[in-house]
Amino acid sequence: MSSEMTTTIRQEDIASVRLIIGLEIHVELSTRSKMFTRAPNPACPEFEDSPPNTLVDPLVDALPGTLPVMNRRAVEMSAKVGLALGCSIAEHAKWDRKNYAYPDLPKSYQISQYDLPLCFDGAVDIPSADGGQRRIGITRAHLEEDTGKLGHELPGGGSYAGSLVDLNRAGTPLLEIVTEPDFDCAEDVVTFARELRSLCRFLGVTEGVMQKGHMRFEPNINLVIDTNEGREYRTPVVEIKNLNSFRAVEGAIEHERTRQLEEFLETGRVMGRGMKRTRGWDDQKLVTVLQREKEDAHDYRYFPEPDLLPVEMDEAWIEAVRREIPELPIARRARYRDDYGLPEKDASSLVEDRDLCFWFEDVVTQQLEATTETSVDARQAGHEAAKLILNQLAKRANERGVLAHETGVTAAQVAQLLQLRREGTVPPQAVDRLLELAEAQPLDMGELAESNGLVVVRDEGAMEGWIEAAIESQAQAAEDVRQGKDAAVGRLVGAVMKASGGQADAKDVRARLLEKLRP
Amino acid sequence: MTDPCNIDRRDDLTHRIDAMRRGETTATDRLEASLTAIDRRNDELNAYHETLEDTARAVASEIDGRIARGEEARPLAGAILAVKDNICTTEGRTTCSSRMLENYRSPFDATVIRRLRDAGAILVGKTNLDEFAMGSGSEHCAWGPVRNPWATDRVPGGSSGGSAAAVAADLCDAALGSDTGGSIRQPAALCGVVGLKPTYGRISRYGLVAFGSSLDQIGPICRSVRDASLLYSVMAGVDPHDATTAELEVESWNESMRPAPDQLRIGIPREQRNAEHHPGVSEMFERAIDRLEAAGTSIVELDLPLTDQGISTYYVIAPAEASSNLGRYDGIRYGHRAKPMPGEGLEELYARTRTEGFGPEVRRRIMLGTYVLSAGYYDAYYKRALQVRRLIREEYDRAFEQCDLLLGPTTPGPAFRIGAERDPVSEYLNDVYTVNANIAGIPALSIPAGSTEVDGVGLPIGVHLQAPPFAESRLFGAGSTIESILAD
Repeated sequence: MSSEMTTTIRQEDIASVRLIIGLEIHVELSTRSKMFTRAPNPACPEFEDSPPNTLVDPLVDALPGTLPVMNRRAVEMSAKVGLALGCSIAEHAKWDRKNYAYPDLPKSYQISQYDLPLCFDGAVDIPSADGGQRRIGITRAHLEEDTGKLGHELPGGGSYAGSLVDLNRAGTPLLEIVTEPDFDCAEDVVTFARELRSLCRFLGVTEGVMQKGHMRFEPNINLVIDTNEGREYRTPVVEIKNLNSFRAVEGAIEHERTRQLEEFLETGRVMGRGMKRTRGWDDQKLVTVLQREKEDAHDYRYFPEPDLLPVEMDEAWIEAVRREIPELPIARRARYRDDYGLPEKDASSLVEDRDLCFWFEDVVTQQLEATTETSVDARQAGHEAAKLILNQLAKRANERGVLAHETGVTAAQVAQLLQLRREGTVPPQAVDRLLELAEAQPLDMGELAESNGLVVVRDEGAMEGWIEAAIESQAQAAEDVRQGKDAAVGRLVGAVMKASGGQADAKDVRARLLEKLRP
Repeated sequence: MTDPCNIDRRDDLTHRIDAMRRGETTATDRLEASLTAIDRRNDELNAYHETLEDTARAVASEIDGRIARGEEARPLAGAILAVKDNICTTEGRTTCSSRMLENYRSPFDATVIRRLRDAGAILVGKTNLDEFAMGSGSEHCAWGPVRNPWATDRVPGGSSGGSAAAVAADLCDAALGSDTGGSIRQPAALCGVVGLKPTYGRISRYGLVAFGSSLDQIGPICRSVRDASLLYSVMAGVDPHDATTAELEVESWNESMRPAPDQLRIGIPREQRNAEHHPGVSEMFERAIDRLEAAGTSIVELDLPLTDQGISTYYVIAPAEASSNLGRYDGIRYGHRAKPMPGEGLEELYARTRTEGFGPEVRRRIMLGTYVLSAGYYDAYYKRALQVRRLIREEYDRAFEQCDLLLGPTTPGPAFRIGAERDPVSEYLNDVYTVNANIAGIPALSIPAGSTEVDGVGLPIGVHLQAPPFAESRLFGAGSTIESILAD
């Protein structure tokens, strides 16, 4: 049956070893109801952490007489992802039954899409570890339903000798994305995986929380080994199941590279029919472990699902979905870099979370729309907003374990604060205090500064007096400045600030001192 | 000439509803009479699994009150209906005549049940059937076979044998059946009553326990064609719970729309006219054609060469779907579960549960279906069957260009003796004329056409009328006309 071939190659015969990796990604869509019934979906934040077997209805439990009804929203979300990945959307997709018996699969078949997937033939460009761009082909993206879970732990703790079935997850809409085997290193796979997660979150199709299994990765890995004699060998493809962290994806691929080479040197086994094996990832030992010897030991007896009509997405429907697609993370990052002059790292931080990103853009827009005396251009508005959000605000947010847009400070307040700073109405050292105040009170930032005595003092007489006093009390420093030692001005500024009770603008004070001492 | 097997089609459900409205009888009196009759005859016939008397009595009395107050205008007010026990009802059990579901109670009503209740129907009981509707004699039952009321040593046909027997013996006004390859029409013919299989997608399958999902349809078994149209009009129409129901308005039909015999253009398939039937069936069919011609109907002889391909196509598609549909009965969440043995793995527990829970015919079809879907066999069997299915549809399309309806015998012979069909294939051939309507999804009606005498006993036989998709009203019109011609 199997065309297993063996050969004897030694380490020193090998000229080069190349990884070939394709990726399958399962994305749990965050629709309110499940794929084929109205029962609530645990991948929707409103229903996550529900007690076992509470998100169940007669269909989920596969009671006799129940019939599936397609969730249109899940189809739209999938098409959205497909479009964002450059895929074609099928005018005619169909459903198939994948039959196998297991207690976490109540119907004993999974409704999936076998030969006519919803999305196909796409491609994405990612920045590669080699410094260039790499194009990753998307073979297909199809919709199916998730299974339930089996456990051996009683709710509330304590172990159980048998198996416990929780059907909450059974029927959650699952988008399976399959790439071409276009990767040759673990770093690129991780880059792609992160990019995909960010994209899916931007599209609002999944919460994308890896620890909760909202996204699961399954790399297919093998090696191309070239010998000094110019012969090429390919090792059998291994599929690593259900990786739910980027670290695991990277670790599993790296481990397979070493393991497959060792195995090849030992056994000489090369790729052949029916040789695909399935391995799992051991997070403790950091190794992959064999799960199933041969993939085609399973016969899923696929056939067209008679209970559902084919999915006919017409041009109008596809267009409506296309219109819902916001600017995607890759494009946004480029824009932040080019238009706002942000470093790559800052641009990435801003697109990491969709809501944070939208909030940031709101801050920028509000600055540009505000009618004030001091005008601001987009570049300055974007740059200053990013700096404030990623530094002072992010620091405060971090301490509370929330994201920058979740501290209670509104986008309008941030825009106002940036404006106040540009006008010199408030001093830099007042920024943190103002953010603290804004967290609790949704008032205008100008009012908050006024009522809390944080506005820069404009009393020229007082300022003149503080400056005179400082020059007098710090005579040596004043003399140094006159001699051209700029560093000495700091001590004078400090004295003025102290005298003003912190209400003077340090920058302004510095300028005035220099003006006075070196006219 | 009155046929020995003729039930009085003038005393039908439509007539009885009128009688209650006119105050000549009451729902309660009629229900009590039905319950008494069931009590008297069911031990012998085994048509009912159980009666639902408590709720039935409450509903009947409520309807009587409404009629007395002049508030009752619902189309089925006081109709006493029996329900095949593979249709989910919140009252009573839904066993499918299987040990697997011996004590199963559904938490929801099938869509048809909800619609019938809303229309004022009284559900009197759940009727016996071949296990999971797999059979043509109502013999493959977990709790004994159903007996034909006209000859109790014979089968009533199947799988809706309990429903057909209950209607024929007047143990209800009408009944619901399900039809995957002839399971409504064949027992209707063998019991001398009317049976309708509607167009696929016309009546919701929500709450019908699935057998062959692309073939199954619920339909009525009645005393007259107009009764069938009455029940159909209440049950038909799109259902958000069943994605395969058609979003097409249900045409209303009444007897005033009955065509005259000379307005009918009836196609007679040569393959069905010239086949070797039981002599009584051939005789009956020729007599029916003669009478129609005499009444002025234009008879068009035509060819349906794929008639013989139906059974083999059906016995690939239906078991394939059944093997998948019945996979859920694993004893994990509900239903029968074998007593776990020490050291036994999951696979063994599944195997024993399903071997104990399913009868031999169901097991045979699960194995058949699993086989035809297996890698390496799919193309030769399942894919091929789907291709033939398309050819059969096209053959019907061509036939309906030449005629309005097709007429043939419903079955090749009258009811066989209980236990007589020892060879599964010979039992399967009972559905030779009915099965293609399921494969093509078209509507079809069986109408009583008198009887034939076998061993000194008169046994009913029927004619089979088929129409293009969604042309049920054409079926009712022609059916009602033919019903009169054949009965007179």
